[in-house]
Amino acid sequence: MIDALRYEYIRLRTIRSTYWLIGLAMSFQLVMSLIIAWRMSVSTHPPKGNDAFDILATIGASTGFAPLFIAYIIGLLGVFSTGHEYRHGMIRATLTALPNRSTVFVAKVVSTALIAGLAALACIAIALASALVFDLNMPSTDELVNLTIGTVTFTTLFALSGLAYAAITRNQTAAVALLMLVPTVVEQIIRAIVLAIKTSSDDPQGTTGIVKILRFLPYDAGGKMYTRATLDDLLSFLGYIPFGPLGGGIVMGVFVSALLAISYVLFIRRDA
Amino acid sequence: MALIEAHALGKSYGANRAVDELSFVVHPGSVTGFLGPNGSGKSTTMRLMLGLDRGDGRTTFDGKAFSELEHPMRHVGTLLEAKPFHPTRKARNHLRMLAAANRIPTSRVDEVIELVGLASVSDGKPRKFSLGMGQRLGIAAALLGDPDTLILDEPSNGLDPQGITWLRNLLKHLAGEGRSVFVSSHLLQEMAVLADQLVVIGRGKMLANGAVDDFISHSSLGAVEVRSPDANLLGPALDALGATVTHDEATLIVRGVTAEQIGDAAHDAGARVHQLVTRAATLEEAFLEATGLSEEFRGSGVDEGGHA
Repeated sequence: MIDALRYEYIRLRTIRSTYWLIGLAMSFQLVMSLIIAWRMSVSTHPPKGNDAFDILATIGASTGFAPLFIAYIIGLLGVFSTGHEYRHGMIRATLTALPNRSTVFVAKVVSTALIAGLAALACIAIALASALVFDLNMPSTDELVNLTIGTVTFTTLFALSGLAYAAITRNQTAAVALLMLVPTVVEQIIRAIVLAIKTSSDDPQGTTGIVKILRFLPYDAGGKMYTRATLDDLLSFLGYIPFGPLGGGIVMGVFVSALLAISYVLFIRRDA
Repeated sequence: MALIEAHALGKSYGANRAVDELSFVVHPGSVTGFLGPNGSGKSTTMRLMLGLDRGDGRTTFDGKAFSELEHPMRHVGTLLEAKPFHPTRKARNHLRMLAAANRIPTSRVDEVIELVGLASVSDGKPRKFSLGMGQRLGIAAALLGDPDTLILDEPSNGLDPQGITWLRNLLKHLAGEGRSVFVSSHLLQEMAVLADQLVVIGRGKMLANGAVDDFISHSSLGAVEVRSPDANLLGPALDALGATVTHDEATLIVRGVTAEQIGDAAHDAGARVHQLVTRAATLEEAFLEATGLSEEFRGSGVDEGGHA
């Protein structure tokens, strides 16, 4: 296992995409965090309580009106960890250096999870520094811990889903498309269809029936780990009661675990 | 010691049996050529040997399957793809990465880079490499662990004549050190001077397995050329021996008997013989004869003059 991790470590260190993806994510986080913090500091109605930190740490995603941008950038590292193997014909070289496929797969999962988690932690640090520089309200200890766990967990699971898409499809382009489209388009289409059916039902405001499906949209549910007020609140009159951070995290965790399980089985069974 | 034993290798793609019950042994200290027409299953066989493709049978390296080898690059060096590397990862870093997985010191990376002649471009990105340079990097990766076994799929692809000569000398030298070298190639003339043993397959099935000289000598395309002013006497005598005789102007082309048998028959028939020349088949002729009915892909008919 150590050998496989050493291989992954050098693989990540010796390829440009690692640097430009992390650089892009951190640069975006730093620049946007500073701009938003500055605007908050000069506002006549600055955010109160934990809001300033929540918004800075997630660059607005905590409001539920925007995706967690850094997850999408770091998620590409997950796609590339497996996608590059197939796109550039590296998989056979990898498996002749490390013939134990389980070890190779686990090493990729561990390295992707580590890098995604560290990148998310760095975003939290940047948000705290920005709040400090512009003298904004610092978060409570509970909120700091909860949002950090939520952001790190979501980003890590998101990146791992990218890894799984690439391992399942063995096509980097398809995996990138899935990672971008499933959370932002597919889940929204499902939501629209479910709500259309719900509003035309006999009990449009009931909490039972088809609307329960919406609680299990994996990326939307996972988003509850870092969102504090969301569009979903506006849908409560249609009987939609989403999971909280823990429930949402479990839904996304189960979904990503299932994806990883499928990709692992295929990785073990398929020809390289 | 580096004995490769392949037993009953098999692989199907749907209804197509790509590799069928292939068994052979590659002995230490020899270069074994792996020949077959396009699509005959050579690359699939090599991947099966290394556990990269799922199929039937088992291959062992000194008694162990490839997946059971600890730090396999130290035991078996492989080259399976034309350019098996990320186009923007520097050549040296590509080798460092492979070395790290097998606890091979970085100093060995520099040694193999020097050995394959890529020292001047080791910090270059392989996307700018020619096919031949890519092959050299692949060969460097195969040699990284100083393995006692080499499995190389078309390693001379893209190499210039100097490169082919270099590779031939290198592989012969490595075999001379007691290593096992199993190499596929389409360059039959090259294989004729490189290989000691042959494994010849067609449509996934074994066609021949043994020493190169035996393979060639068993070809029916080998012949004895006989010049005799008494062909009318000698012809029936050779027919009686069961030989196949064709006439080429004043020369008889005789197949199926040895020069000694012809000499004895001429003596017995009272026929004068002015010339008796044994002409062995070339490896190419023997290969084409052996695989004639096993071509997976065949072009439209074009004669030797290039006419369709």
